[in-house]
Amino acid sequence: MPTFFNLKMNKIIRKKDQIIIPSSQLYLTEVDKFVEKRLKKLGLNKDQVADITISVTEMVNNAIVHGNKNNPCKKVILRIKAEKSSISIEIEDEGKGFKPDSLPCPIAPENLLKEVGRGVFIVKALMDDVCYSFKPEGGTICCLKKSLKKDQKLKR
Amino acid sequence: MKLTAREDRGIMILEPKGKIMGGPDATVLHDKLHELINQGKKKVVIDLAKVDWMNSTGLGILISGLTTMRNNGGELKLCNVTEKIQSLLTITKLITIFETFDTIEQAVASFN
Repeated sequence: MPTFFNLKMNKIIRKKDQIIIPSSQLYLTEVDKFVEKRLKKLGLNKDQVADITISVTEMVNNAIVHGNKNNPCKKVILRIKAEKSSISIEIEDEGKGFKPDSLPCPIAPENLLKEVGRGVFIVKALMDDVCYSFKPEGGTICCLKKSLKKDQKLKR
Repeated sequence: MKLTAREDRGIMILEPKGKIMGGPDATVLHDKLHELINQGKKKVVIDLAKVDWMNSTGLGILISGLTTMRNNGGELKLCNVTEKIQSLLTITKLITIFETFDTIEQAVASFN
């Protein structure tokens, strides 16, 4: 019985709160559109939508490039979870994982003019929580959480 | 991202529109800047008024543009930086690297 990840895929699969893409940066725009549309439907404000979609494009890009090494046979799964007081986004790849604490500091003077290396730093600033879990069989799940404002209700 | 260009008093003004988040966006700006350098046009303002937001790839594209221009004896400045992008420039301390102006007029005048 093939697992979900073992199924060969060369197209995008969209569900209400989930999108699955092959690992190519060409699909980043589709992910951005999907997430933005869903968050707007849930009733998040413009600033919240921007913070989350910026963060999602960072982490999906990392999943494609660093996790799945741009291998289009490998997939990235994104799930949106609307909870009572927060929105969580899970981004899952098929990579070998990494050490989150080993990333260089992008605001150190020697790194300031580098063209890359700011993604995770920005995500940590824009989101309320960022955590990772590494599956023993391979694959990383990054979970991003944005708290809702007091008394903010989502449209389900 | 869409990119248009115009000239004002000898200064090239580039106007990206949409979101700058990588993929093909990187080469669009890079190619345009090299085209301008080859034409001897090395004073550039990027007007960010119509950029909704950018991610770290977008910031990397701006840094690449800045170093490309400076390495060729030119300069690249930013104007009409939206609140969201201003916030990203501040978080990443890139606000200390780029010259930013409130208006195109001010940015163009700063070259003289």
